Amino acid sequence: MSDRPLFPTQEIGSLAKPRWQLLGQRSEPLDEPAKEELRSWDARVGFAREAPEVRDALLDGRPRDASPEAVRDLGALFALRYLETVGLTRVYDGEARRIEMYEYPIRQMRGFRFGGHVRSFDNKYYLKAAVTDEVRLDHPYHVDEFDFVKRHAHAEPKVPITGPYTLADWSYNEYYLARQRGWKGRSARRAAQKEFVVDIARRAIRPTLAALIDRGARVIQIDEPAAGTHPDEAAIVVDGFNAATDGLNAEFTMHICFSNYADLLPTLLEAKRCSQWAWEFANRDTAGHDGYEVLKTLTEYGDRREVGLGAVDVHRDPVESPEVVADRIRRASKYLGDPRRVWVNPDCGLRTRSLAVAYAKLESVVKGSALARAEFENPRR
Amino acid sequence: MIVRTGLTGAFPRSEALVAATRDLDRGRTSADAVEELYRRTEAEVVELEQRLGFEGTTAGYLRWADLFRPFAETWEGFTVGPLTRWLETNTFYRQPILLAPPGRTPGAFASRLPPPTLESPGTARVLLPGPYSFAVMLDNRSGETEPALIHRLGRLLGDEVKELRGRGFSTFLFSEPQLVVRPPEGPRAEAVVAGYSAVQSALNGGTSVVWTYGADAAPAFPLLDRLPVSVVGVDLAETEVDQLPESATRRGLGLGVVDPRTTLEEDPAEVARVVRAAYARRRPSSVWLGPGARLDLLPWEPATRKLHVLPAVQKALAGASP
Repeated sequence: MSDRPLFPTQEIGSLAKPRWQLLGQRSEPLDEPAKEELRSWDARVGFAREAPEVRDALLDGRPRDASPEAVRDLGALFALRYLETVGLTRVYDGEARRIEMYEYPIRQMRGFRFGGHVRSFDNKYYLKAAVTDEVRLDHPYHVDEFDFVKRHAHAEPKVPITGPYTLADWSYNEYYLARQRGWKGRSARRAAQKEFVVDIARRAIRPTLAALIDRGARVIQIDEPAAGTHPDEAAIVVDGFNAATDGLNAEFTMHICFSNYADLLPTLLEAKRCSQWAWEFANRDTAGHDGYEVLKTLTEYGDRREVGLGAVDVHRDPVESPEVVADRIRRASKYLGDPRRVWVNPDCGLRTRSLAVAYAKLESVVKGSALARAEFENPRR
Repeated sequence: MIVRTGLTGAFPRSEALVAATRDLDRGRTSADAVEELYRRTEAEVVELEQRLGFEGTTAGYLRWADLFRPFAETWEGFTVGPLTRWLETNTFYRQPILLAPPGRTPGAFASRLPPPTLESPGTARVLLPGPYSFAVMLDNRSGETEPALIHRLGRLLGDEVKELRGRGFSTFLFSEPQLVVRPPEGPRAEAVVAGYSAVQSALNGGTSVVWTYGADAAPAFPLLDRLPVSVVGVDLAETEVDQLPESATRRGLGLGVVDPRTTLEEDPAEVARVVRAAYARRRPSSVWLGPGARLDLLPWEPATRKLHVLPAVQKALAGASP
């Protein structure tokens, strides 16, 4: 904890990519909606003037005069200024250069083979790799992306990275399972999964974290969305986290969403270098159900770490008012017994919301935090 | 030892079908072109099932969006709800929302069966959701209690079985992960037995298979052994063979020996060893071997490759029957 004002704010993950970026990085001319989008957001958050040649090439119908990389840079600048203009304490680039959180990291490693598509639902699919050899890292990743953010950010940057457990869970375990003797039942699979997770953590994630820290990263969010799908493997999540962060000096947070956190406790508390639990709560905070009550469990276990409080739902368009956010902060502070432990953020990345809705939700995060701060700092007598 | 082999759930779509269905959503191809590809791919799956000597063909159930959708879209009382995680996987289904007591529309479900199974019903395996899993995985806003709903869904599924028996189908596989993930107790357990009794009375000499997966089945055996069904299947990636009850059963024993959670191919000799051990504990009338869970957790190529273990195991077991 620091001497920051009460209830600092942060983003959690990706934002929707603006249409002008998607068209521009494919060197396609912008249509009118894309041009209008670029102009209106520039007027609102002021980013395009920092790269006028790229802006002009896009707006003047000369997309080939702006390289895809330059368009991505502009996309990252846009997200930075967007998040800073809202007023967040910690920012990143809205993952403007990333398409997803699994395939890219895996493609920076050796030992994996992509073998085709798996259906996620309906006609939506994703590529899933099999680990067929010992995991090795080609080179640390997200480093150039972080460099760009560090050079341009006015607010404190926080870099997100997919965690070792999630990368392993979303892959087929072939190599490590084959090393188990006999029938590949539950216990063999569990043992193989642990080996796999710890190997990714040590051989790929840790060197990447070290490289990011060398470049100046001070706050790193390790995303483990898969942690909640196998509560009985919480110990493996912890093993991966500890192996990835072993001996590294930075502030590490762990983001998990849409999970039953109580099922992961107290095992998760063994993640030694985790200083903040960034979890989703707003999605489950409905009439008649207090979505923040699970925080009592942390208190019961005596955990004193910060909590990144999901205070707006990323799956619904209606924008929570600042008063609703303030109420959620109030409840969380009560359950944690210490308002200084509360950071405020959306439940998860806002990429499924339009940029306008996401902005409005983030405004509520900032305004709701200010409301709650005023209450706590000037309690009525 | 009588050994039968076959699919126990949906098969993955081919890479060509993946591309075509994506293109369809993006308006880059026509529904007719995708239909043609479905037909060709279904024929490929049937050919594979026949070549591998499977008892009964499924054609892969490639068109189904998920296990419940054919019912959520055709039965009365339902609407299709939000994306919901499918057990402990990174795949999702649209949760059916039940707004009123459910009712079936005759012929509607049959129209959703893969065309090759409709053309050869006598050799087809019909895939259905088990009444318990169906009841607990939907969003019940109908006001009906869960035990009443389980029983009602069993009766409605029994009516589907009756209709399909009339069309010449004889083998029905009920997908029931929740029987082992969240084993029912008390009135809910009694409702499960009543639901399958309703199915049993509609079978008229047909075969009913209850296939469990997603968790260790051993604790659920007191209930599984009470179900009036022809075969009970367990996923051996989740259930340790030495935990199976030692009591003999006159029913068939299903063993999920192909693990869709890994691309690693199973060793036929090792599978045969485990099957023999399971057989020795249960002394079933027959052994049904197949994937432990939905094979569409894998892409097409590794799924196809992994299935080849089944005839190899069958061969390894031949002549070794006690």
